[in-house]
Amino acid sequence: MAGKDAMYLGDDITAALATDSSPPSTKLSPADWAKKNLFSSGVNSLLTIVVGLAALALLWFGLNWVISADFEIIRANLRIFMIGQFPKEELWRPWTSAYVLILGAGLTTGALARNSHELDLSQEIESHKEGWGSMLRRFWPVLLVSIFFVSFARTLLPFIGLAGAFALIVVAREIGWRMPAAIRERAIFIGVALFIVSMLVIAGTSRLGGYALGLVAFLWMMSELSRVDSLPKGFAGTLIRSGIALVVAAMVAIIQNLIPHDGFGWENWGGLHISLFTAVVGISLGMPFGILLALGRKSDLPVLKTASVIFIEFVRGVPLISLLLFSNLMLPLFLPIDFERPADLTLAIIVITGFSAAYIAEIVRGGLQAVPKGQTEAAQASGMSAASVQRLIVLPQALRAVIPAMVGQFIALFKDTSLLSIIGILEFLRVSDTSNSQQAFVGKGLASVTYLFVAIGYWAFAYTMSKESRRLEAKLGVGHR
Amino acid sequence: MSETKAINSDATQVGGTGRVMIDVVNMDKFFGDFQALKNINMKVGEQEVVVVIGPSGSGKSTLIRCINRLERHDRGSIVVDGVELSDDIKAIQNIRRETGMVFQSFNLFPHLSVLDNITLAPRNVRNIPKAEAEATAMELLERVKIPDQARKFPGQMSGGQQQRVAIARSLAMKPKVILFDEPTSALDPEMIKEVLDTMKDLATEGMTMICVTHEMGFAREVADRVVFMADGEIVEVGTPEHFFTNPEEERTQLFLSQIL
Ligand SMILES: Nc1ncnc2c1ncn2[C@@H]1O[C@H](COP(=O)(O)OP(=O)(O)OP(=O)(O)O)[C@@H](O)[C@H]1O
Ligand SMILES: [Mg+2]
Repeated sequence: MAGKDAMYLGDDITAALATDSSPPSTKLSPADWAKKNLFSSGVNSLLTIVVGLAALALLWFGLNWVISADFEIIRANLRIFMIGQFPKEELWRPWTSAYVLILGAGLTTGALARNSHELDLSQEIESHKEGWGSMLRRFWPVLLVSIFFVSFARTLLPFIGLAGAFALIVVAREIGWRMPAAIRERAIFIGVALFIVSMLVIAGTSRLGGYALGLVAFLWMMSELSRVDSLPKGFAGTLIRSGIALVVAAMVAIIQNLIPHDGFGWENWGGLHISLFTAVVGISLGMPFGILLALGRKSDLPVLKTASVIFIEFVRGVPLISLLLFSNLMLPLFLPIDFERPADLTLAIIVITGFSAAYIAEIVRGGLQAVPKGQTEAAQASGMSAASVQRLIVLPQALRAVIPAMVGQFIALFKDTSLLSIIGILEFLRVSDTSNSQQAFVGKGLASVTYLFVAIGYWAFAYTMSKESRRLEAKLGVGHR
Repeated sequence: MSETKAINSDATQVGGTGRVMIDVVNMDKFFGDFQALKNINMKVGEQEVVVVIGPSGSGKSTLIRCINRLERHDRGSIVVDGVELSDDIKAIQNIRRETGMVFQSFNLFPHLSVLDNITLAPRNVRNIPKAEAEATAMELLERVKIPDQARKFPGQMSGGQQQRVAIARSLAMKPKVILFDEPTSALDPEMIKEVLDTMKDLATEGMTMICVTHEMGFAREVADRVVFMADGEIVEVGTPEHFFTNPEEERTQLFLSQIL
């Protein structure tokens, strides 16, 4: 056995085995393993056999069902499942959008991975560049499911598109890793900007997108200017900085608006795309509001405190469905008569943002309470203002502590986007219903096929996120930052 | 204590250069109905080292925490370097800027590197440029003899190293006074010396310090005065030698017999 083991182990470990200073090998032969884990006692053996038979039966029926099932409904509706009623002649938009998104994701994650790698090295912690094998192990559900989805396509184009996407993520990540440190430090801004650009590509142009880009430009400028030591400090400095940043942001927004409005906003969005989009936007916008609400709830100012508590407790006490319905049916009644009715998706995003903000507020509150009092005291004792203490000492620690809970909230929100169907948005799950009521498929009892398809889609993303969150948890727990 | 005249409980005789740095007059502190500090009168001179000792719960921490307003005193006045502590947040922050504090449990910021721990307040409060703040931080780390740890995070260091970083952190604000609250009592015995040595260096360099500590060896070497507290009162004041040779009050004797 020692010889067999040595084949799998590096030279230094083989040497260690020879001197017998390593922990005793716990490797068992398959037969031993089965004996130890599956048939260790009478009850265990019985359990193994029963569960084993049940699994076999399930597999048998499952295979039979898959072989006999009619997947034509998926083939016919694949595009709708992915992006809803998006005009066919505009299909270049989602594809380009996806590529921009992948480019942004690759660049940003590559750069962030490198940054954390460098940080580890600077502290003499062992750290290696993550290999593609490990990436595969992390993201296999999403990869596998995208191949599965594409396999229903009737033309070759989606295959080529997907292969291109895989290639792009590899290249973009590699470029992100190799970018100079100065660019890598700004990776987050690059990522967010590309995210918004990708949305603009799919929507054509839109005013909202212009504002969003302007906001990113503003925040980016502020962060750049905060590095400039020659600007005055304190209040005057903040004024000058905000001034410059505002001008830049306004310019970005104006330029964006100068581009002809050949788009159609997000009226036509749908499918898996809208589910992912609303979840990501809901959580990203909900985060800052949620943090503010959590701080508001802790505030000494009674007005702020009461308002925060009422908002949080109201939203948490009411089902998301009722909030969505309320926004859709009632809110427009309260708006001024000449006010253009916002798109359903706009209302939905506002509701989902508020909804996740309330939940995030409670998560963050837990995190705030977990920061020891000594931290605040040490910061106060050095003369920092109350706001600085919160911003630089308490919040960073509180947020770090609640990342796993935050991911959990994100997963829940992702699945909750299926409720958008209630206000007439053609999200992922609803496509299952609409396709079953099509002329060609109605009454054929194909709902099980489409539901299974949708379930696999939800599962792949939710499971990957949950895996990532556990990985992050382990990293933060073992680490020290 | 007027009937036991022989015992010196007057903590207002300043040492050091004679210039009064901290002036506490008729100060009372309550936690709810419980009076934690009773009519405290105490002065600390510039460059003076005052060691505060006393049994658990006697109010030592509360006393020094009142001096930088981590606790609000209820009666009397506290003046630090000419600035009186009031509810005015500006005055409080002015005093905190000039007053360093070192805690029993270090209270380093775990999410920041050692360097960032030290440069945070100078950059945030005094608006010192990053490069300059980092240069100062490196000098301070030299001074507390751990320059090679600058990039580490607090969780990666021993207790003694962490406490020395905490001292460097408080020094980075170039304070006029440093308050120590049992800086060595959370440390393993072998690390106590390195922290005490750092504190001794500071005392030799002329830093004004109030140290709550039961390290009587340290007190003997560097303290100008020792203040013994019990039940929220200052009970006995004297030189370290006085406490070693002839402590007068009964509670002092009992306490010293327990710790020496
Ligand atoms: N935040 C608080 N609320 C209520 N009571 C308090 C509070 N802080 C301290 N006390 C009480 O005030 C008294 C003095 O406490 P303090 O921490 O100053 O004692 P100490 O002399 O530092 O003791 P130790 O040696 O244990 O640190 C104690 O009886 C304590 O229970
Ligand atoms: Mg104490």
